[in-house]
Amino acid sequence: MAEILQHVVNAMVLGSTYALLGIGLTIIFGIMRVVNFAHGELYTLGAYVAYGMVALLKLDFFSSILVAALVGMLIGALIEYVFLRRKDLKNIDEVMLIMIGIMIVMQNLELMVWGGVAKIIPTPFSQDPIAVASVSISPTRLFVFSVAAVLLFVFYLGIERTRFGLAIRATFQDQDAARIVGVNVKRIYTLTFALGSAMAAVAGALLAPVFVATPLMGDLASLKAFAIVILGGLGSLGGAAMGGFLLAFIEEFGAGYISSAYRDAFGFLVIIIVMLFRPQGLFAAKERVG
Amino acid sequence: MNWKLFAIFVLVLGLLPFLWPDPYFLSVMGSAGIMIIAAISLNLLLGYTGQLSLGHAAFFGIGAYTSALMSLGFDVDIGFGITWQVDAKPVWLAFATAIVVTGFFGWLVGKLAFKVRGAYFVVITISFAQVMRMISLNWTDLTEGPMGMISIPPFSLWIPGEGLMNLTSKAAIYWLVLTVGVLAYLLIAMLVSSRQGRAMIALRENETLATSVGIPVTYFLALATIISAAIAGAAGGLYAHTVRIIDPDVFLFIYTVTMVIMVVAGGKGTLGGPVIGGLIFGLMPEMLRGTVQPEVQWVIYGITMIVILLFLPRGLVPAFYDFIAWIRSPGAIPERESRRVLATEVKS
Amino acid sequence: MAISKRYLTSLLVGTLAATPALAADPVKIGVSQPLTGAVAASGNYVTNGARLAAAEINENGGLLGRQLELIIEDNKSNPREAVNAAEKLILRDKVPVIMGAWSSTYTLATMPKLEEYGVPMVVETSSSSKITTAGNPWIFRIAPTSAMEAQAFAKNLSSFNPPIKKVDFLSVNNDWGLGASQEFEKMFKANGIEIGQKETVAPDTVDLSAQLSALKDTGSDTLIMTSGVEQLTLGIRQAAEQQLPQRIVTTGGSFPEPLLESPGPKGYTSSHLLFFSPWTPESAVHPEIAGAFVDAWNEAGYSFPGLSEGFRGYDGIMTIAAAIEDAGSTESEAIRAALWNVQVEGVNGDISFFKQGPAGKESGQNEPNVYVVQLKDGKVSAQ
Repeated sequence: MAEILQHVVNAMVLGSTYALLGIGLTIIFGIMRVVNFAHGELYTLGAYVAYGMVALLKLDFFSSILVAALVGMLIGALIEYVFLRRKDLKNIDEVMLIMIGIMIVMQNLELMVWGGVAKIIPTPFSQDPIAVASVSISPTRLFVFSVAAVLLFVFYLGIERTRFGLAIRATFQDQDAARIVGVNVKRIYTLTFALGSAMAAVAGALLAPVFVATPLMGDLASLKAFAIVILGGLGSLGGAAMGGFLLAFIEEFGAGYISSAYRDAFGFLVIIIVMLFRPQGLFAAKERVG
Repeated sequence: MNWKLFAIFVLVLGLLPFLWPDPYFLSVMGSAGIMIIAAISLNLLLGYTGQLSLGHAAFFGIGAYTSALMSLGFDVDIGFGITWQVDAKPVWLAFATAIVVTGFFGWLVGKLAFKVRGAYFVVITISFAQVMRMISLNWTDLTEGPMGMISIPPFSLWIPGEGLMNLTSKAAIYWLVLTVGVLAYLLIAMLVSSRQGRAMIALRENETLATSVGIPVTYFLALATIISAAIAGAAGGLYAHTVRIIDPDVFLFIYTVTMVIMVVAGGKGTLGGPVIGGLIFGLMPEMLRGTVQPEVQWVIYGITMIVILLFLPRGLVPAFYDFIAWIRSPGAIPERESRRVLATEVKS
Repeated sequence: MAISKRYLTSLLVGTLAATPALAADPVKIGVSQPLTGAVAASGNYVTNGARLAAAEINENGGLLGRQLELIIEDNKSNPREAVNAAEKLILRDKVPVIMGAWSSTYTLATMPKLEEYGVPMVVETSSSSKITTAGNPWIFRIAPTSAMEAQAFAKNLSSFNPPIKKVDFLSVNNDWGLGASQEFEKMFKANGIEIGQKETVAPDTVDLSAQLSALKDTGSDTLIMTSGVEQLTLGIRQAAEQQLPQRIVTTGGSFPEPLLESPGPKGYTSSHLLFFSPWTPESAVHPEIAGAFVDAWNEAGYSFPGLSEGFRGYDGIMTIAAAIEDAGSTESEAIRAALWNVQVEGVNGDISFFKQGPAGKESGQNEPNVYVVQLKDGKVSAQ
């Protein structure tokens, strides 16, 4: 029983960051229909910004997360403005390939700047785990979960309660209709990409101290983000959040009880299975996918 | 397709080991050649049939592992106390098996993936490659996992007067790759100018319209995937028996990306595109080696790909043909120029 | 990799000072190491050690009156790339001798090429016994085999309090990790110690929580971990988080450097098998050589804990250099013959090769020294 609880705790922590990562991609994918291969690179960027702030500039951990978010937002907006504006986004293939190009450039720039050796990010938390019965969680992971949960809640409020959120939801549902009622779709695009990238960056900044920062960590993150989006369904932000937690649970329990070696494979298997049986995702309304 | 140009090209390539016998150069050309074959196969799916399949490294890897396993022989326990044992087979047989098996996986992936379109299709194909990588990494009984499969036997050829010779010299490998490459190129060339090929192109242009005129879309998609996968499997098999060591990293996304860059930059949907793209991106790493770090090289490739996609979206080969056409008709004044001329005439 | 200005200046000065005496054509030694990928930390340490050796040799007049040039190739923590790297070094750069390739897997992959082209390789880190028993006469290993490591550790068993009664294993699932767990298992059984559970992990995994949960209730008092710096750090951290009761002992010679700056919970202790301990240089067989190496390393500005592996690169290059001087030539066959006769005083201890493997095709093997240290609250001391 204790082991199950431990897995639940681990899954909640991972799930919260996965949810951030997944929502970030969902809004980009959902609104702009861009298969954003660079999403994982924003995640990596966030991790390295956090590392740079903490280890090199001796900034405190909390502010570094903020900086990571800001940098993510900036780079996201930049990418959208420079590369995607001029392309008719209906050319899915070319847009996808451009994003792959951006991914290659970002990943190798990171390799050039930081080198290939994994970096550990020092945190101000003690390493003594907090234990309740035989379930334990390190203070770092607890912090990560809290921040992610807060951010998810803030995002929810922003989407549901503000005019800006309304504009996003409108564009999400139907671009042309949104344009008709006066939403500046071009600006929404930029802001969406920026926001989605910022969320990826924060997810990276949060998870990096739990594990390590390497230039190649984005590859896996990108693919997991896609798994989450597909699990949750494109038309649904709430679905993406649930998808994040669901993927984390599948990974935790799969690794714990089926096979620890195939931990990262579960995400991909999930994609394939969901595509086979319910291509529109588990939580979304019906949508034509084929 | 221009047969004369093709024949000259092949002749020059064939004579290359005599003109420039440095073994390192030949080994670089050989590796580039293998990637070109993979790019040619991807071009069928990506360029001619219009399906952005980004898991192509999976077929390459399946071909490599199948050929290696068949030529080394294996012995695995697949659960329920059943062991599957296969003795080592001659390399040619292993190679042929690899092509067939990979074609089969192509069909399988096709069936799976073609239920969906667009971005979903892309994600499924990528996931397939990743799952294959995980399997080859963890099913160590079969694949040796991260330790990789080593001492894979080379191809052997019966040469009159010499008997059975192992194809291990760099020149021999080069010619082998060249032969398979030419065969693959010819196969694709004949396919795209046939009825089947035209059906695939119709699919790429407008799937709904194609269905409406009675083209069985799924049939042609399946055909394209099977052939594409089979050729990629051949490339993988070549790789296994020339490099003679493979490990799960053959399934990495970066190899798919390399093939994609070659096809896209060269010109998707053209016969020469993947070859030119493959030569450029296969040889650039060697030319830049020593002067420029690999990370910087990749930044250059990424930027090149982005620039080509933004400004020459059809690729280098079509852009080159456009340029030739433009040179050939110097009498055609560009629109801006003609407006300027008219404007000055009106003023005066 | 950060190169301090002081190092660059000293290298420049050393080279300039030595240049007038040296002829134009440098003596080349190839180096194949993982500079990127899963075990990049160690690969970089070893390469830095090699660079220090080359700099020292050039400062003292070079080799055979010529400059020594290291041609360094990154094998990207991958056996296929290791083969590529070896071929590039041999065919393109035409090096007569190589040092490499760090992991047993990469070394095993490279070995057929050594035989194909007739180039000797000094193995500075790999520990799988397969390397010297495969019948490859071009291999000369200065690093210990896992069997030697296990035997040396057996002599240290009494230093553990409470004594070791039952052990679990967590190893990286390649030749190195699996070979190590096999050899240590044999040794433990021979010493009456019970074997608990054995878990494996893929080389680039960062989340070991599943394996660690499986090890939590085995009743063992010790966990033997074999992997690279990155995974050892993650493993120890995550084991502490999950409150695993076992004390952790790492093997293979890597030290979890990041734990010095970000230590585990208060009072948490782990032990590490090293082949050189920079924290206790006085325990080295040749303290002057060890001390000089540590000084040069610190002057170059490399990270201190990297010394625990950097010395391998240093000893490896010094061994090759001795063979080249002895042979008086840069021909591969001559270097190979000369390697059998080397007697070098290295940072780890005395280096010389005895024959190992099938008769007529023996490889060279050295018998190095092993040191055990303890890490607690970010501080290292002798076990």
